[in-house]
Parts: sequence; structure tokens; C-alpha cells
Amino acid sequence: MRWSLAWVALALAAALSGCAPRGDGVAGSSARAPRYFGSVNPPRESVLRFNNGAEPETIDPALASGQPDGRLARSLFEGLTVSDPRTLEPGPGQAARWETSRDGRLWTFHLRPGLRWSDGTPLGASDFVWSWLRALRPETASRNAGLLHAIAGAEAFNRGTATDPASVGLAAPDETTLVVRLARPVPYLLYLAAYPTWLPVPRHVVERWGDAWTRPEHIVSNGAFVLERWRPNDRLVLRRNPRYRDPARVRSERVEAYSIEDLSTATELYESGRLDWNTSGYIPSPFVPYMRRYADFRSAPFQSVYFYSLNVTRPPLDNVWVRRALNAAVDREAIALDLLRGTRQPWGRLTPQGYPGYPAPPALGYDLARAREYLARAGYPGGRGFRKISILFNTSEDNRRIAEAIQAMWTRGLGIPVELQNMEWGATLQATSSLRYDVARRSWIGDYLDPSTFLDIMRGGDGNNRTGWADARYDRLLSAAADEPDPAQRLALLARAEALLLADGPVVPVYHYFSVELVKPYVRGIWSNALDTHPLEDIWIDHGWRRPGPAGEARAHAGRAGARP
Amino acid sequence: MIRYLLRRLLLFVPTLWAIATITFFLVRLAPGGPFNAERAIPEAARAQLARKYGLDRPLAVQYVTFLGRAARLDFGPSYEFPARPVREIIARGVRVSAELGGWALLVALLVGVPLGIVAALRQNRAADTAVMAVALAGVSVPNFVLGPLLVLIFSLGLYWLPPALWEGPQSRILPVLTLSAAYAAYVARLTRAGMLEVLRQDFIRTARAKGLPERLVVLKHALRLGLLPVVSYLGPAAAAVITGSLVVEQVFAIPGLGRYLVNGAFNRDYTLVMGVVLFYACLLLVLNLLVDLAYAWLDPRVELG
Amino acid sequence: MGVSAASVPAPAPGRSLWTDARRRLARNRAAAVSALFLALVALACFAAPWLPGLADPAAQDLRLGAAPPGAPHWLGTDELGRDVLARILYGGRVSLLVGLVGTLVSLVVGVSWGAVAGYAGGKLDELMMRVVDVLYALPNIFLVIVLLVFFSRSLLMLFVALGLVQWLTMARIVRGQVLTLKQQTFVEAARALGAGDRSIVFRHIVPNTLGPVIVYSTLTVPAVILQEAFLSFLGLGVQPPGASWGTLIADGARVMALFPWLVLFPGLALSLTLLALNFLGDGLRDALDPQDAGRVP
Repeated sequence: MRWSLAWVALALAAALSGCAPRGDGVAGSSARAPRYFGSVNPPRESVLRFNNGAEPETIDPALASGQPDGRLARSLFEGLTVSDPRTLEPGPGQAARWETSRDGRLWTFHLRPGLRWSDGTPLGASDFVWSWLRALRPETASRNAGLLHAIAGAEAFNRGTATDPASVGLAAPDETTLVVRLARPVPYLLYLAAYPTWLPVPRHVVERWGDAWTRPEHIVSNGAFVLERWRPNDRLVLRRNPRYRDPARVRSERVEAYSIEDLSTATELYESGRLDWNTSGYIPSPFVPYMRRYADFRSAPFQSVYFYSLNVTRPPLDNVWVRRALNAAVDREAIALDLLRGTRQPWGRLTPQGYPGYPAPPALGYDLARAREYLARAGYPGGRGFRKISILFNTSEDNRRIAEAIQAMWTRGLGIPVELQNMEWGATLQATSSLRYDVARRSWIGDYLDPSTFLDIMRGGDGNNRTGWADARYDRLLSAAADEPDPAQRLALLARAEALLLADGPVVPVYHYFSVELVKPYVRGIWSNALDTHPLEDIWIDHGWRRPGPAGEARAHAGRAGARP
Repeated sequence: MIRYLLRRLLLFVPTLWAIATITFFLVRLAPGGPFNAERAIPEAARAQLARKYGLDRPLAVQYVTFLGRAARLDFGPSYEFPARPVREIIARGVRVSAELGGWALLVALLVGVPLGIVAALRQNRAADTAVMAVALAGVSVPNFVLGPLLVLIFSLGLYWLPPALWEGPQSRILPVLTLSAAYAAYVARLTRAGMLEVLRQDFIRTARAKGLPERLVVLKHALRLGLLPVVSYLGPAAAAVITGSLVVEQVFAIPGLGRYLVNGAFNRDYTLVMGVVLFYACLLLVLNLLVDLAYAWLDPRVELG
Repeated sequence: MGVSAASVPAPAPGRSLWTDARRRLARNRAAAVSALFLALVALACFAAPWLPGLADPAAQDLRLGAAPPGAPHWLGTDELGRDVLARILYGGRVSLLVGLVGTLVSLVVGVSWGAVAGYAGGKLDELMMRVVDVLYALPNIFLVIVLLVFFSRSLLMLFVALGLVQWLTMARIVRGQVLTLKQQTFVEAARALGAGDRSIVFRHIVPNTLGPVIVYSTLTVPAVILQEAFLSFLGLGVQPPGASWGTLIADGARVMALFPWLVLFPGLALSLTLLALNFLGDGLRDALDPQDAGRVP
């Protein structure tokens, strides 16, 4: 049995040297001195080392879709506006100023004079026109070209029904003036202008190298950084762009963006001091509650919602009372607060929080008695006669725990038979988009701070709808809102649409995400915000930082020893 | 010998063709396609991508084009990483994976073979039990447990070694240990079994009876035959270990080849999957050929072909 | 190691070999204890629903969450507050079954395939081994995904997916052994005595490969049990909220530093089973040893 003893010893060693509850042993540590997670030695050079997450598929702004892609695209390229790292308020970027017509449909941007690409080639208004038309061209096959549809004529051009670039409402009367005609008033246009799809790309490089233009040996950029090195599945190294319009704005000489997919690995590298910043989503969720005690921990509501979608084309889910019953039988607080230990917020709406002025409709709540009543009204009193339904989710530990909890709520609360079905990613996507499922796990992340970024996905026939649900009244309300010039009126129309959606119940909202990240105390310029957007040029290492408290100096691995006064 | 080699090398062609063909249709039978994503892609864009990569053409045409290109080792660009040709992805990944795998195999053999011999010579005694106990622990603690455990102890507990990333000799230690543990255990168990079979055979008894020193008997006569099961095992094991281990590469953030097959499968990245599978197949065929040659070398009585 | 009929170890006729083996196996203490232990584990797993005092493995307590071992949950609870002991016992059913079937396939298919190829040699050997190569090289993950397209998930499909690949290395090992064994004197002797090919392969050669075969089989069991966890990931293995040892270990590994009991106890279950299997395997090998057939231990 020697070897099984070895097993026990190993496991004990793990528990003792344990990861998250480290520092637990330091009983009675002072409330004044902050505790840090792991090493707190700043890097010697002016370099920011952070985990960018999964390997970026591309850094071409027109094609970038995930957060890892987008974050890099926005550091390498700069659009007309840039986001304030604190408030996300758009401010002047490549454009120095702009004006808009009274009806909000005509925008004139005045570019800064003397803008250049990192290879010295001049950059002007025509580059923006060319880049946006490129993103819209069907050949480019951009996933996010829809974000440019606000421009007049862009949608038809994107779909290939109009082929004349002149039909798109863009004009560059001279190299510092860019005139954009919109299809409808877009109150969040300046936010959009900082979004990857709206960034300029170097025509001379793209035309010469084709798909390979983003390789480090070819790429030319206009943003705060240039790409120095890209080692796939390991890291990208960015260096300050000497030809950037305002080089002094960029606080770090160099940025190392690591591509670490495994959450535990990312957290361990952060703990060991190899990373200065572990971006949101890269702490294994069971560990999050234990991270709160550290001063490194940052958390803020993030505009993303986890929900279940119901396939309304399949009986009995075509029955609105069944959908209401399922909705009312989900105890969101037990999931978010008990199971997930408060790392998420229970949520009963499709749109997340944090949209100023949005008169959000009442949230769906947990009411088991009423849920049973609904089910009886649907013709299945006590769940009798209800066929077995299946919850589909892509395999992940978190998804499974939640599915198991919801399964128990529906089975034990409503008395209906529920089975779970997990699939790998590709098969899950195929099943949800072709409506071959009963109930499926989904989540959605907003692109910009406006409820329409969530509500639009539930339009009838939208590629992201994936429930088969379509309601002409809902679509009409959304269209009316899109054409409404008065912001308050517009939000009221959107709220009516959401109320209608919630009452009809094709989606079962479960929780609201929080961003959770770890930031070393010597890192400056990271502020939590609803879009989890942190422009890299604003982040820097404070070499003057000293560990607070009488000990005075920053010691390696001090997090483990605890911060004793 | 030369004729045997030539015949085996010629046989590579139909074998690789069979693997390529079955895989080609297998990946296309899987539900979904390469351009699906959480965020729906507009229909026009999807059609455009399909045209760009030739996926809109009849399957037979796609198949013939693929075979023609594969014969020239050209698999085209990866769908997921459009700026990178599959050939480059494999070349970069295999350099890392082969180094990691090579060390792991070496450790597995250096640890496993001597332990196996010792255990066989001390059959059913304390040393044997101890060695086999360790070996069993190596098999039953999977690498996704062992890796994080080693990191907890040696990186985050003792601060001796970096927890991840592939840079510098120190960063090699934990991943190599993690990867080699199970292989070392297999090698030790198989060496012991092989040696036990051989040690009982007549010619060993004859050698002993002739008064040859025990060490000579064991190392010169018995070991050659005793290693046969290990050698058989090594062919496929080496091919697997050189093409990388998904778990070890993920736990230690190593930019190897291992994650591409699985991630490529999940993303339906047909070109990437085809490239990796065929690379692995070539490696496997070559290694199994070497194994067959090794049989003849270890036991001259074995006839090739 | 003295006086067996070594030069022509033509084994005694089948039945008495087995009776003999059984008697010798029973006399091996470690093997007997191991067999008893395995029987008890299997009994506890398959009779779990009727075990008095065992918690419902699906009963959740979200408020409790992951609790360390102690009354009333002797092995603790998982993050949904479910009893770990119950989940291990229920999970053992799939794992033991999978380990057994995977190993059987490996034994039956792998040993026969390898023995026939090695003995026949020439073209047949080439053909059979190239089939093995092809099966090795096919991406298993796609095989499983495609299987799931055409067949609904079931225990049978799980066995098919595991059985498809588990016998390949076994076939190569047995073939390697047979290549050298068939050149040895006892085979020639048997042939001279008029034994047919089938009898030479299965009665004279295969018994002499038993050492590596049994060892590799016992090593296959944990490999299959852990492989099942990967198939579960693809949606083929156990169906949540059910679990298997493989999925329990895989899930527990993720929270090892927080809740060590979640990986420790399923890991112990697997390791102890493997240890017992191993003693049993060694005992079996000794008992079946064709060269020791006449020897009294």
C-alpha cells in the first residue's frame, strides 16, 4: 500500500501548498495592510505583461471577432475616436474633432493633420473610406461588418445587392475631412468609431500581401503600438509606435500579450509574478470567491448575460405557458449566490445593467407556486403528460454545474422529466443554429453600451436568434426605435420590446456576468468598466510602487507569507 | 534488407492514401462547419468564405484537389488562422513538441528500463513491489492531475521552477516529468514482464550453467529479448509523444503541436486537421518500420518480411 | 526453476491447465485478497442503490456546496452539495464496465490479431499491420463526433468507440513477441509432432506471450477509464448528472487546491482497483505459466 500512501501524501502536499486559500494560514492578519496574491515584484523594464487569453485568430481589425483579437487590434490601430479608460466616453483619436447635423444623420470628422502609418506612409480620410469599404465587401467576409450598417447604403453593399462603392454614404473631400452619411440616427456612433471594425488598415500593405498582411514581418499600423513578434500559442510582443500621433501618451515601452488558454495556468503565472495582469475570465470560477480577499482582485458588472434559449418550434415549448412555467421555476439566486458563491448576479432580463436612461422592464423572478400554476394552465398539471426535454450545452465544468442545478429545479419543482446533453463546441453551435434542440445554453456579450446590442438578436429570423421565436410587434418596436431621433423616446420603445420578449419567454435569463481580473498593485491605468475594455496605451508599470506597511519593501512571494503588520 | 526496406517504403503510399481518404470524409461528416461561431456569420460572408476555400465545389472535386496538394505537402492555410499555412503551423509546433517528447521518452526509458530489470531480478521481493508500486502510481495519476500537482508543489509551494511557459532549460523540467511519468510506468512494467519471460528460457539457463557472470547474462543475453515488448510499445508511443500532448501543453502553456488536433477538430478546421493527421501518420509509419527493424536487430532469428 | 519439461513445454491439455491454474491462483495470497477486494468493489458499485444509508447521488444542496469529509458525508460533498461517496459508487458502475469491456476487446481482438499476423508473416502480416497503422492514425475525436451523428448515445456506442482503438498497441506487442517465439525450438518441436497452425498459435505461442499481455491488459484498465472521461467531454460517455471515476477525477483536478477530497477519493478508488488488478494479473500470469505447468510452487 506504499504507493497509495504516496497518493495521499501528494494530495496533502497539494492541499498544504494549496493554491487559492493561500494566506489562509495567516490568522489575524491586519485589516489595514492589503494582502496580495503571490509575488509583487514589478518587472525591471517598462514592460506590461498580461494574459490576452486564447490564441488570437487574426489581428486584422475587419475580421477580429473575439476579445483577444479585438484587444490587440485596438492597440495596433487607432480609429477616429478612442475610449476613455475610466468612463469609456469616446474622445478624439485620429479625428481631432467632429460635428453632426441637426437630424443626427450627417457626421463630419476632421482628422489630425500629418497622420502617418508606422512605416511613414501618410494616412488620411481616404484610408478610412477604403478600410470601411473593405470590411463591407462580401469578399472580405467580415463577421462584424453589421456594425458598419449604420452607414447609409452599407447594408446593401455588404450583402452584395449594391456593388457601387459610391452608393455607400462615405466621402473624403480632402485628406483631413471625412463625411459620413448614416442610414438612421445612431446615438452611439462615437462609441462604434473606436470598435475594431471601424479601424483603418494600411491599404498599401493589405493589397501587397493579402491574407498574410497581418504577419509581424509585414504589418504596418497607426495605433499606439507596432507588432514586433508573434509566437503562436505563446505571446505577441508589441512595441511603442514611434510614429504614433502622440507617442508621449503611450506609457509602456513594450507589451507582452500572452496567449494562455488554461485558466489555472494563467492564474498560476500571475501568482508567480510572470504576469502583471490576469485579464477578466481567466480565473477558474471556483477560485473567484477566494480571490476577493486579495487587493489584486477587481470586479465589475460586465455587459454579458447567461441565458437558456427555448426552441419554440418544438412542442411543448411552443406553448407560452410552458415557457413561463420554466422561467418562473428557475431559482436564479440559488444559482448565482449559492452555487456560484456570488461571483455572478442573478438576472431576470435579456439586457444587462448599466445603460443610462434605459427604463428597463420588470425582471422575471422565481415563483415556484406560480410556475406550477402556469404549467397546469398549459395542460400539464404536476408535469403529467409532459414529454422529456433535453438541455443542451457545450461541455464545460461551469455549464454543467448550472445545467445540473436547473435540471433539478425543473424536475423536482415542476415534475417534468429533463435530461442533459453536452456536446463539444462545433456540434453545439450546429444544433442551436439549426434549431435541433429543446433548451440550450447561450450567452451574449454587448458590443456597445446600448440595449439594442442585446435586443436585436431576438428579431425574427436573425442569425443569432436561434429559438425560432418571431413576433411582428417586437420587430416593429425595434424598427421604430431605430428610426426614433429622440434618445429617451427611443429607449422607451426598446423597453417595450423587451417587456414583450420577457412576457413571451423564449429566453430564460439566468445571471449577469461580472468581470473578474487580477491586477498587480504596481500596475496603473486599469479601471473596471462595463465593456471590460482597457486600452493598453493607458496602462503602465509604476516602478516607484512600494509595498505598504512597516515592512516597507516589496518581497518576492510575499503574498504567501501574508502581510503582517 | 534493402528490398525489405524498399517494399515497406512503397507500402507507405497506399497506407497514407487510406488514412487521408478516410479522414477527409470523416471530418466533413462531423456536424457543423469551419465558419460557425457563437456570433452568427452573415450568409453572404459564409458563402464568400466557402468559395475562397473551395468548399462550395462538389466533394469529389475537393477531394481530388486535396490529394493533389497533399502529395506536394501543401495543405493550404488554416481556416482558423488565415494568415498561417498549415505547413508552417506544423513545422513550428513540432519543433517544440519533439523536444518535449524526446526528453520525456528519454526520461521514461532511463527510469523505466533499469527499474524494470531490477524488479524482474528481484521478482516478488521488496524491491520489486516498491518499483511496481511507483509504476502503478505513475499510471493511475493522470497527467491532468500530476501536472497541476507538480506546479503546486515545485512552483507555487517551493518556488523552485517556473509554473509554465516554454523558455529556458528550467521551464522544461516539470512538463517533461509530467509527460514521462505514465510512459516510464508502462516501460517499467513491460520491461519487467519481458525480462521475466526471457529469464526463464533455456538459453539463459544454459548461459548461467556455463558459469557466465550474472551481469553479462542479464545485460547481454536477456535484455535484448526482454526489451521486445517495450520496443513494440515504443513505436506508437513515440509517435504520440512527438506530436504532442494536449493536456501537458495546455497545463504548461507550451506552444506545441498537441493542441492543434483537438482544437482543430472542435473548430472544424479541416485543413489543419488533415495536415496534423497526415504528419502523425507519416511519423507512425516510420517509427513502426524502425520497430520492425529493431526486432531483427535485437533477435537475429527474426526474419524480416 | 529446475526440472520442468522445458525443451518441449507442450502444455498439458487445456482443461487441466486451467484447473491447475485456478488452484495455484487461489494459493497466491496477494492475488486472492485482490480478487476479493475487486469483487467487493464491484458489488458495492452495482448494488449501490440498495446500500442502506447511502445518500442519493443526485440530491443537491446548493447552500452547502463543497464540504470536506465528515458526518454525514464521509467523503465530503461536491460543489452542488452532492455526496461524494455515493457519486463514486454509482460512478464505479460505468467505469468498471468500461474498463472491463475495453480490456476484453484489447485481449480478444488484439491478441488474436497480433498472433495471427506475427505467425503468418509475409503479405498477410503486412496487410494486417497496415490496417492497425490506419486505425492508429485516424483522428479518434472525429470518429466519436461522427458516431454521435449517426447513433444516439448509449453504453453500446461507448464500448464501440473505446473498443475501436484499445486493441491496437496490444496487437503490436503480441506480434512482436510472436515473431521471436515462432523461431524457437519448442515451436519446431510442436510442428514436428504434427500440430496444426491454429494449435501452434493458440496453444503453444500465445501462452508464452501471457506475461506482457497480462501486464499490458492491467495497464489498459486505467487508460480506458480515463479515456471515458474524454468521451464524456464529447458527449458520449456518462450522462450528467451521472458521473464516472474518470469524470470525477477530471473535475476534481480542476479544484484540487480548493477541495482536495474531490480528486483524492475518486483517484484512490481508481488506484486501489488498479493495484488489486495488478496483483491479480501477476498471480494469473504465474498461475498460467506454461513453463511452470508441472511445478508445485
